[in-house]
Amino acid sequence: MSEMWINMGPQHPMTHGLWNLRVKIDGEIVVDVDAEMGYLHRGIEKISEDRHYNEVITLMDRCCYVAGMAWEHLYILAAEEALHVTVPERALYIRVMSEEFQRVASHLMWYAAFVQDIGLLTPFLYGMRDRDLILDLFQSYTGGRMTYEYMRVGGVRNDMPPGFTDRARKLCTWLIDRFKEYDTLCLASTIFHKRCDNIGVLKAAACRKHGVTGPMLRSAGVKADIRKDRPYAAYDRVEFDVPVQQDADVTARYLIRMEEMRQSIRIIRQTLDWLDAHPGPVIAPQLPRWLGAPYAPIGNEGYLLKRNYPHGLGFSAIEEPHGEALAYLVNDGGEHPYRVKFKSPVFANISAVREYVVGYHVADIPPIMGSVDICVGEVDR
Amino acid sequence: MLSLYSVAYDLISIPLTAIAAHLPAPLSAWLVNTTLLNVLGALVFCAILLGASMINTIMLIWFERKMLGRFMDRRGAMHVGFAGLLQNFADGLKLFRKNTRRPKDADFVGFYAAPTAYMVSSLVMFAILPVSTGWSAGALPLSLLLALVVFSFAPLFIFLSAWSSANKYSLLGGMRSAAQMIAYEVPILLAVVAVVVLSGSFDLTTIVYEQQNYWFWAPLFLALIVFVAGMLAEMERIPFDLPEAEAELVEGWNTEFGGMLFAFFMLADYVRALVGCFLIVLLFLGGWTMPGWVPASATSFPLAGIFWFMLKTYLVFGVFIWIRASLPRVRTDQLLRVGWMRMVPLSLLSIVLAVAVVLTKCLPVIGCVPGIGGG
Amino acid sequence: MVGEDIGERLAGHWGTDRLHIEPFPGTAGKVRFDPALVLDVLRVMRDELQFAHLAMVAGIDWEKHREVLYALWSDERKQYILLSADIPAEAAHIESASSIYPSANWHEREAWELVGITFDHHPDLRHLLTPDGYKFHPLLRSFKLHEPETLEVKRRDV
Repeated sequence: MSEMWINMGPQHPMTHGLWNLRVKIDGEIVVDVDAEMGYLHRGIEKISEDRHYNEVITLMDRCCYVAGMAWEHLYILAAEEALHVTVPERALYIRVMSEEFQRVASHLMWYAAFVQDIGLLTPFLYGMRDRDLILDLFQSYTGGRMTYEYMRVGGVRNDMPPGFTDRARKLCTWLIDRFKEYDTLCLASTIFHKRCDNIGVLKAAACRKHGVTGPMLRSAGVKADIRKDRPYAAYDRVEFDVPVQQDADVTARYLIRMEEMRQSIRIIRQTLDWLDAHPGPVIAPQLPRWLGAPYAPIGNEGYLLKRNYPHGLGFSAIEEPHGEALAYLVNDGGEHPYRVKFKSPVFANISAVREYVVGYHVADIPPIMGSVDICVGEVDR
Repeated sequence: MLSLYSVAYDLISIPLTAIAAHLPAPLSAWLVNTTLLNVLGALVFCAILLGASMINTIMLIWFERKMLGRFMDRRGAMHVGFAGLLQNFADGLKLFRKNTRRPKDADFVGFYAAPTAYMVSSLVMFAILPVSTGWSAGALPLSLLLALVVFSFAPLFIFLSAWSSANKYSLLGGMRSAAQMIAYEVPILLAVVAVVVLSGSFDLTTIVYEQQNYWFWAPLFLALIVFVAGMLAEMERIPFDLPEAEAELVEGWNTEFGGMLFAFFMLADYVRALVGCFLIVLLFLGGWTMPGWVPASATSFPLAGIFWFMLKTYLVFGVFIWIRASLPRVRTDQLLRVGWMRMVPLSLLSIVLAVAVVLTKCLPVIGCVPGIGGG
Repeated sequence: MVGEDIGERLAGHWGTDRLHIEPFPGTAGKVRFDPALVLDVLRVMRDELQFAHLAMVAGIDWEKHREVLYALWSDERKQYILLSADIPAEAAHIESASSIYPSANWHEREAWELVGITFDHHPDLRHLLTPDGYKFHPLLRSFKLHEPETLEVKRRDV
């Protein structure tokens, strides 16, 4: 059979979202690929130019629907820098805890989708089940399960409900136990290794060349984590390790994410202890009125006042569950951001798709793309 | 002895004779004529067989859904009927009412003929396999061979359906399916040869009777492994379900089929699964016989043979469900490599073992007893 | 925290009239340079100053001119650096960075279609997020979200 193009997407079980991977195959071997994005382009950057600073947070949750907290955090950091707002320390810890819970939830979602790609049905439901427990926890203090609108310029919306830290600790213990089960279901299986070892290899030099970051980069032996290299929020005050693997294949990425979840739990436990010991305000007391009172619903009339506030530029970088996310925000003294630019890690990771898919089998595409952990919401924005 | 055919014959002959008693002579003579009664009896026999096998197939799907649910920490079907027993009948009705659409470029004959042929070729198996004494249509001296021949029709129809639905995914799935089934036919047949060597017969009923002293899985453990792996591939179940690998090929060769055509494929897949379990039970697990230490009261009640046979079948299928719940899917080249380079040598080795058992009349565990390996 | 050696090295190459570096909180600084120098500056950044990772290319429309913003990361320095070049709005052209940083490929495609900046010698300048043939550049300030819309409602005769 000669070569032919097949469309894997936009509605295809492999895509985990809405995009199209055009694959040129020769028999069962992939000879060329071309990714088509844009099926989920909602113009979040443009809409942000028409929203007040706190209203953009709502959009951020939609940016990546499985890692809403991380994207809220990214935007908030840039906005606070551009608006010259200082944040109470307790809010920083709450943000760190939220982001880490979000990382575990996002990785569990990845785990569920990934094992399903290689045909494992049972762990898929296990991953979803345990992710749901984290969502329950989010619901208990933000009110939302996927879209939280929780962080605010200058802090976070509200403090934790009573008894929260105990529940969170209990969940941490439960999750740590479950991770063992996950590893047994995957790593103990010879077929898993047959499917995942030595495919989708992208070495460190190529990762840097093509802008690939996150677990993919760390699986290639580069110890790069923005939480360590350029600490933000309270990450310089918590202890954790950055896992590194050398094989740069799908199994290595699996191991990286599993270890990251354990490290996240470690961070969460430290923040919970800190939160117990240090009560205090969670939002800056002296916020400019147009940013809204902490409990005011988004869109209150205070926004409509003309303001005369210093201009500013904000640049923030966070280690999102998928990798390095950047935001650049221009504040021209108006009510709305003048321009917001977000850089999504998955955007860069998918752009290098030709480097790690070509030459493998068609059947390798789902595990490889699964190991990339794609969230189309943040690619298309 | 009570046989299914005699039951079917009685079901039709008793009411007809009763009616004929009230009719004038020429009409009653025509009605109670042996040829007509035999034909009608055969039809009733087929209807019972079809009904029983279809109900069993649907129960098999229910069994799988419930068990998979338990493996996955959920409950499976539970709302329609007691414990969701009627869920699959409801699903079937839903599929029956759905529109079947044919893609513009799809071949008319192939698109409609392939699902039908696949279904029919799978159902024919039930007439060949003896579930218990007196169940089978007739004692065929080569029933094992016939069963395997009918069972191996499937790749042809799968490829036909894939080719005629004019879809690249279907085509890839069809090719994979054909390659996989042909690759695993060989070890299956070789494993069966070991059984035939040990039992000295191609007749399934004889093979079961040969197992009254000891079940064949003990001397032919290797052959059992090969046969189970091959059956997994033939049934296209995880870990060998890559012709319909949903992650990369959407649904493989049945991507384009919807409504009742899809239901045909789906049902036929489970019919084949049931048949595969039947074969494993018949060839390796003693069929409807039970070992001597089982009290006679447990093997002598009416329909005891069918009861034990079905129990074994469902247990074997439970193992398949267990495998499905815990293993990932392999890749095409790995599957073919395992098939040709592991399964074929193993099955050849099992033939050698079977020959050794026949020659020495000894078994590893049981020891040397007369009656072993003697046809 | 402007990287001292960065400023010196860059000034040594081009002087300070075509390129200067200003502090930017949280990064090694923001380098403003003449767009004609883009390839040379990026090459020096990658080869001499160890900024091996191009993290982002952004276009910003300032109405009179457009700004192209590059964010680079160095594993050795553990720092970001921002590079910015202003190009006139009526001739929004700049050389593509893809030859030096292949990761610029998709970022430039996005900036091209959304902000209307053409990247010369780009290997693959196709639409990425918007449909092929889409002729607007949504992230320009002139593209208004709230254009008055007229919606014709036709009455259906029953």
